[in-house]
Amino acid sequence: MMEALPAVVPATSARPRRQVWSVGGGKGGIGKSLITAALGFQLARVGRKVVLVDADLGGANLHTCLGLSGPSLTLGDFICRRAERIEDVLVETGVPGLRLISGASDFLGAANIRYAQKVRVLNRIRALDVDIILMDLGAGTSFNIIDFFLVSDVGILTVVPEPTSIENGYRFIKSALYRRLRGAATNNTVRAIVDSALDQKNPGGIRSPLDLLAAVEREDPASVPALKQQMTSFHPRFVVNQVRDPSDVSIGHQLVTACARHLGVKATYAGYVPFDDSVWRCVRQRRLFLSAMPDCPSAQKVRELARGLLQGESLALTW
Amino acid sequence: MVAVLVGNHYEVLGIDARATPDQVERAYRFCLEMYGDASVAIYSLLDPEEQRRARSRVQEAYEVLRDPFRRHDYDVSQGFARPGAPMPSLPRPAAGPVPVRVAPPPPPRLPAPQVLEPPVDGAALRRFREGRGISLKEIAARSKIGVRYLEYIEGDRHALLPAPVYLRGFLQEYARATGLEPQRTAEAYMSRVRRAPET
Repeated sequence: MMEALPAVVPATSARPRRQVWSVGGGKGGIGKSLITAALGFQLARVGRKVVLVDADLGGANLHTCLGLSGPSLTLGDFICRRAERIEDVLVETGVPGLRLISGASDFLGAANIRYAQKVRVLNRIRALDVDIILMDLGAGTSFNIIDFFLVSDVGILTVVPEPTSIENGYRFIKSALYRRLRGAATNNTVRAIVDSALDQKNPGGIRSPLDLLAAVEREDPASVPALKQQMTSFHPRFVVNQVRDPSDVSIGHQLVTACARHLGVKATYAGYVPFDDSVWRCVRQRRLFLSAMPDCPSAQKVRELARGLLQGESLALTW
Repeated sequence: MVAVLVGNHYEVLGIDARATPDQVERAYRFCLEMYGDASVAIYSLLDPEEQRRARSRVQEAYEVLRDPFRRHDYDVSQGFARPGAPMPSLPRPAAGPVPVRVAPPPPPRLPAPQVLEPPVDGAALRRFREGRGISLKEIAARSKIGVRYLEYIEGDRHALLPAPVYLRGFLQEYARATGLEPQRTAEAYMSRVRRAPET
């Protein structure tokens, strides 16, 4: 279903240090929440003021990852105005510098919030006195999720080394990029081309953003520069989770290469997190592995990941 | 047919035109894995036919870039190197399949056997052989005489040469391989061996 307002909310520039990071990934159960919680913990540990936002409305469990029980007031309360201020739904996590806006036990309808509500949520969250707002997006490619991803300064895309997850990862990238391109379209011709691309079996045979650009080039060449500009400013950052061997590590590089060659998207490889039994045990005990088992391989890699993201670095493919 | 992988051989492998043979090898292996049948990174982006074409494009690029001679020609043709630029001395990468070399063309048919003017010594034999562009290895392969003995003959290392009955045979084989008249060549060389043993 197409929403009426495709435009994305521009980032406020009042506070240069403040950033919105989001963790998405097309598929459920690939560790988005756990990575969000771990990253948030690590960012707070190195001195950043962090607010975690559980934007996985309808499927929220970030609080559980942090070993907390569901708070009484949540993001849903703010959205339907049972809580007036965003600060009212902000809870302490017990970790200095790390606070949480939970989505726990939110009504299922919250997953379908309207655009105006979304804008209000984003603007209020952006106005918080923090360094980094870290959002856990839900699974899937709904506009709610994609819009949160698109307004982020750092858009993290989680995948696991499995075909289903990676297929959904590409779908996520395409959906997000098409949404952005549609917002940048200045006429109905281009909008129609973008809309047709959303249908995988479109008669024009558009299967990638590169095909889409070629189609626009044929129909309305004047629009191409603006669309290209949107494409070049779109930088998803891959995190490969549950890595079991070196060839799994290499998948991150393959994804980046494939995105550049076959989608025309400049992605980067932010890092990977090994498959680790300690993490699984910690989840069972409802403890965050980063604090409960700080020396496990996954914890080490999360620390590297956080450092790289803070410094804008990524894993490079060197021969 | 839409091109799946566009660009020159270097772009196909995702490397710089200055890449070392080792880097060519590693990039090739990366691409092979990426476009392989078991690849999870590509299967939802390309259909099996496109994937196959991508693989053969990678293979094509690799076949050229792994071979120092073909790579040099390619670089010149694409403007990556000037004509006449020195061939890089490219050691073969240690890992990976052994490149299949194209066999050198057969030596041209030799003209009628020739007789050398005296003195028929090692140096004279070598001059003649080199003039014909024949290597000692080729003679060794043809005559089954070890390169070492052929070097002794050309070096006039008389003390290291075998007994006359064998030496005659060696010299005749050498003469046949290079296009000299066997009997007279062997006789002329051996007369010098008898007269002037190595000091």
